[in-house]
Amino acid sequence: MTDDKTAKLEALRKEVRAWLLANLPKGWGTPEYKAPGGFTQERHDLAKWWTKKCYDAGYTGFGYPKEYGGIERPREEIMVIREEMLRTGTPGYPSSLGLLLAAPTLMAHGQEWQKKRFIPKILSGEESWCEGFSEPNAGSDLANVQTYGVRDGKEWVIKGQKCWTSMWKFADYGILVVKTDLKAPRHRNLTVFIFDVKIKGFERRPLRQMTDESEFGEMFFDDMRIPQENMMGEEGRGWYVAMTTLAAERSMGGEQAVGGQQAEVRLGSGADNLIELARSRKRFGKSLWEDPVYRQRIAQAAIEEDAYRIWGPAFRAKARKAGASLAATLSFEASTSKNYWAETRQRRAMLIEDILGAYSQLMRGSRHAIDEGDWVFEVLRSRGASIEMGTTEVNRNIIAERILGLPREDAVKKA
Amino acid sequence: MDFGLNEEQDMLKTMARDFLAKECPKAHVRKMMDDAVGYSPELWKKMAELGWQGLVFPEEYGGSAMNFRDLAILSEEMGRALVAAPFFSTVMLFGLPILHYASDAIKKEFLPKIAKGEMIGTLALLEADGDFWAEGVRAKALKRGNSYLLSGTKMFVTDAKAADYFLVAARTRVSPNPEENITLFLVNAKEWGVYVSSLKTMDMVRKQYEVQFSNVNVPATHIVGELHGGWQIIQDIALQANAMLCAEMIGGCDWVLETTVNYAKERFAFGVPIGSFQGLKHRMADMYMELEHARPLMIRAVEYVRENRSDAELAVSMAKAYCADVYESLTNNGVQLHGGIGFTWDHDMHLYFKRARWSANTFGNPVYHRDIVAQKLEQQLL
Repeated sequence: MTDDKTAKLEALRKEVRAWLLANLPKGWGTPEYKAPGGFTQERHDLAKWWTKKCYDAGYTGFGYPKEYGGIERPREEIMVIREEMLRTGTPGYPSSLGLLLAAPTLMAHGQEWQKKRFIPKILSGEESWCEGFSEPNAGSDLANVQTYGVRDGKEWVIKGQKCWTSMWKFADYGILVVKTDLKAPRHRNLTVFIFDVKIKGFERRPLRQMTDESEFGEMFFDDMRIPQENMMGEEGRGWYVAMTTLAAERSMGGEQAVGGQQAEVRLGSGADNLIELARSRKRFGKSLWEDPVYRQRIAQAAIEEDAYRIWGPAFRAKARKAGASLAATLSFEASTSKNYWAETRQRRAMLIEDILGAYSQLMRGSRHAIDEGDWVFEVLRSRGASIEMGTTEVNRNIIAERILGLPREDAVKKA
Repeated sequence: MDFGLNEEQDMLKTMARDFLAKECPKAHVRKMMDDAVGYSPELWKKMAELGWQGLVFPEEYGGSAMNFRDLAILSEEMGRALVAAPFFSTVMLFGLPILHYASDAIKKEFLPKIAKGEMIGTLALLEADGDFWAEGVRAKALKRGNSYLLSGTKMFVTDAKAADYFLVAARTRVSPNPEENITLFLVNAKEWGVYVSSLKTMDMVRKQYEVQFSNVNVPATHIVGELHGGWQIIQDIALQANAMLCAEMIGGCDWVLETTVNYAKERFAFGVPIGSFQGLKHRMADMYMELEHARPLMIRAVEYVRENRSDAELAVSMAKAYCADVYESLTNNGVQLHGGIGFTWDHDMHLYFKRARWSANTFGNPVYHRDIVAQKLEQQLL
């Protein structure tokens, strides 16, 4: 890199640093500052406010062309901006689903007006999105959706129910997978629509999970009318539109792994809090960190966290080398990381249970709960990790069939 | 740190794979299993012609001056081919310690011979208790003029029958700290008082022996490193050897997964390929997942050793514990997924199964290394 370029990047780094200092909420990063947590309106509003600020300053909204509201910057500059944001931490993005799922799907299948209308507001964080895919009888078997749509002039009338909707509470728009043909064969009977949550006939409710939180919701459509122009892709081709979204979702796992390695991270630091917890817990008069069984398990957790974290850069090195020819195969590799993380997290949760002993029963809200019940929350929440975004079993099929090239069970039966 | 390979490294990998497929097929490996010494001098010579034994030695000693990562690429392919040759012993346990710690005179004498394929060596460290720790070293070397008289019995010595020289750990003084009185000696295998006897071990490719030294005469000039300073060197040998073992193990895992997946595509039961059954498919998906997460840990360990980083030990212990567990798990599944044929002597799977056990138990097993990880993490938090 030329000196000139390096100097320019350093200047940008200073600029971003100063901007963050001036614009982050007052007291950000200090122990006194308490960010609103969970799935609260305050949290959502804060992230919305923050993302708009970043977008206006040209510090977010990358990866999309200018005509769709994208901020175009050289890759090195984006790296610098991301590094600086990672360093201080930020209130983040209001609904990652818009950015990570809706925008890529719109780019691939959206009509021109849809791209122009929706992508800019996704990038600026002004509008949030949800995804209406899963149903009570269509989880892993997504092609089995029962929500039904029938054409009525220039509109489609939709009836049905969706569940396991993330960001259900704050979404302004959604992507909806609807069965529009009762006679066509599987995978050719679905159509995807964009819907506005303010339409008549739409209702949403919280779904109470085993964590006692309502991170996910349910959506009901009672003769909800969607204009024809909101169709994404062609009629009957919705399965393929949905596949784009799911591929983007799968690669989120990979993205998460990549995110963690921007800055040099100390080896095994992912287990620091486990060590501290084990040190603070005494059983039969002895700190658990002194117990070889717990030491072994914590060391293993540290190793697994590191393996997960450095999978990202190793994967990128592989992808760079493979080039475009193998890009399709590589997109399936996110299933590998996703499964690994879910299992690692669950093993860690079981370790936490053992460290806490009787206290592992105390939920958030108990005045005796250790660390305000956050550990126990994770014990419960981690069980969802192997179900959401493709169950571990579906991911194993993807790895076996798409990466290892093993034959599909149904294809073999037919033959 | 770059996880990928550059163009030269790609070439090295391809060349190694092609060479080993041609020169060291399983038929050759099996022939060597039944051979008392365990390697063929012709193959050893050909490897030397390719510059493998001296890959990381400087050019002045007849080496190719390549780096530790390059050596790991080569080792990965050797682990994959299950190469029947005393390469690991000669390079990792003998050549590198000489390069890093021996006197100039010894380096000039030994290294060019190793690079040319004219000398084989190994480390004689473990004794009766079989554990990798300083207290396990009971052999003694007593000074007599300009020489030492070395006595003791070493166990689990790899490739001892092929070796021209041993690097032997022995006690040279009385000290309350067992780590402060060990010295490393170069002992000629043909010297009076050296007795090598085979151990019947499960891994018949990488052979192990019991070696007795009874009042063996060793010139004082054949001390490697400082007098009484052997244990630090041994720890360094273990560090580098473990990183390299991880590379070998990843290569082995690669073979196990590939072979198992191919078999599952070809073997029919109930009229369909067994690889179409989810029960089997999911096991193979897990094998892939484990291997893909072990590989980056191995590369990190190798790179940190190459860069001589202060956290290299932690990186290596993390990698060793994980890779060894994964290799054992993959070979367990490899045997299971092959069904009856996987349990036979004729199928090659058990060779990898057994190598996985040797690898896991050499220079500290996963439990040992997790304990090191815990200690290091604790130090980081102080």
